[in-house]
Amino acid sequence: MFSFLHMASFTMKIHCFQRNFSFSSSALVPVQLPSRMETHFWYILPDEVKSATLLNQYLDILSPCEKENVLRMHGDNLKKSALLARALVRTTIARYQINSQVSPTSLKFRKNIYGKPEVDWQNHYDRNPPPLHFNISHTSSLIACGVTLDSPIGIDVEEKQRTTKNNILSFARRYFSPHEVESLSIISDPEIQRLEFLKLWTLKEAYVKALGRGFSAAPFKNFTIRFRAATKGHLHLSGNSNSKASEIIVESSDDPKTLTSNWQFALLELTGSHYAAICKEKDDDTVEGKGSVPMKLTVRKTIPFVEDQCISGKDALVLVGGL
Amino acid sequence: MAAVSATSVTFGSSLKLLKSRQITGKASSLKMVTVGWTKSGFPSLRTSRFRVSCSAKPETVQKVCEIVKKQLALPAESELTPESKFAALGADSLDTVEIVMSLEEEFGISVEEESSQNITTVQEAADLIEKLVQKNSEA
Repeated sequence: MFSFLHMASFTMKIHCFQRNFSFSSSALVPVQLPSRMETHFWYILPDEVKSATLLNQYLDILSPCEKENVLRMHGDNLKKSALLARALVRTTIARYQINSQVSPTSLKFRKNIYGKPEVDWQNHYDRNPPPLHFNISHTSSLIACGVTLDSPIGIDVEEKQRTTKNNILSFARRYFSPHEVESLSIISDPEIQRLEFLKLWTLKEAYVKALGRGFSAAPFKNFTIRFRAATKGHLHLSGNSNSKASEIIVESSDDPKTLTSNWQFALLELTGSHYAAICKEKDDDTVEGKGSVPMKLTVRKTIPFVEDQCISGKDALVLVGGL
Repeated sequence: MAAVSATSVTFGSSLKLLKSRQITGKASSLKMVTVGWTKSGFPSLRTSRFRVSCSAKPETVQKVCEIVKKQLALPAESELTPESKFAALGADSLDTVEIVMSLEEEFGISVEEESSQNITTVQEAADLIEKLVQKNSEA
């Protein structure tokens, strides 16, 4: 395997947040499917996974193709994140116990025409596969997987400390919508501007990933993400942490008739170090409903086969749009 | 991408033999060479144009490597080949877009968003750059 697996020390975790007592039992704690209104957000911190045995266990559940892709990554850290990302997706979906024959290893995946990965249920169902949707995102320090029932989802995570090589406003002028450029340019503090840029970036990425089209097929210039106060009026992006923005909306600039009110967003700050944006298609009932509906979120930190932990409060701080 | 040159031929009329790959373990097979027939009827041995892709100049590839190394904060001695995939080097979507933007500025070109999905390796970036630079000069 890769070199670091031999160098890593063995650690055994016996934390019992979810009553997973024995490391060797290797059981994945099953979880109920999210309701239509809910989004499940799972994440893993690579720095917390050090056991060579565990990493080998993860490698074992990957498909041959996935293993090859992992090994193609340059350097141990990238191999590790790639491995954890695939292990996270497989173990997470398998938890939902939709069918007793579904195990992390037996899951198959395919890509839509734009390259977005989705579950290929062919092995397990002849018809009417469960409408489970997922999307993943990773940074070197955090890997996340969002899961929904019956509604497309896109997520994106970024480290808060991430800087851009290009000047932020130049970048925004090149790729973002005029309104977004405007909202960034009025921020005088460069640090706040950088953070607001990252929030916008993750939200835009989450949106195009939810659409299933990605950056190439849904150019960032053609839509605007903005923050809006709950009651009335509009609020420009504000660096003020006391911002009263309570919802995030998207507007299409190339085709005003494009339906965008059916997308729901949430922006989180995880463990004080990462922004996570989530975009999900609204349930039919809520589209018709008045005004904004906060996204019902369940955030869990996990080390598959070892422990799961429900996260709330300041470790999963909802900045805008979620419950 | 197929190489198109003024003297290229219709495949039907050419003697087409493929350069074989070495297969380990097997006895060495035929070594063959591509022969093309030019419009004038004379065969031309285009040994320098075997590759089906239009290969970019080495300087372009070098420049792209520099930009990628800088964007991904790779150590100067890190091994970057033209086939290196950005994703395998650790580029996420923001990195890729930043790389494209840096390339636009460096080479004075404009890359459509639709094309950015085709830029996954150093070679692909370099090839696209040369194509766009050429288009610019023809305009």
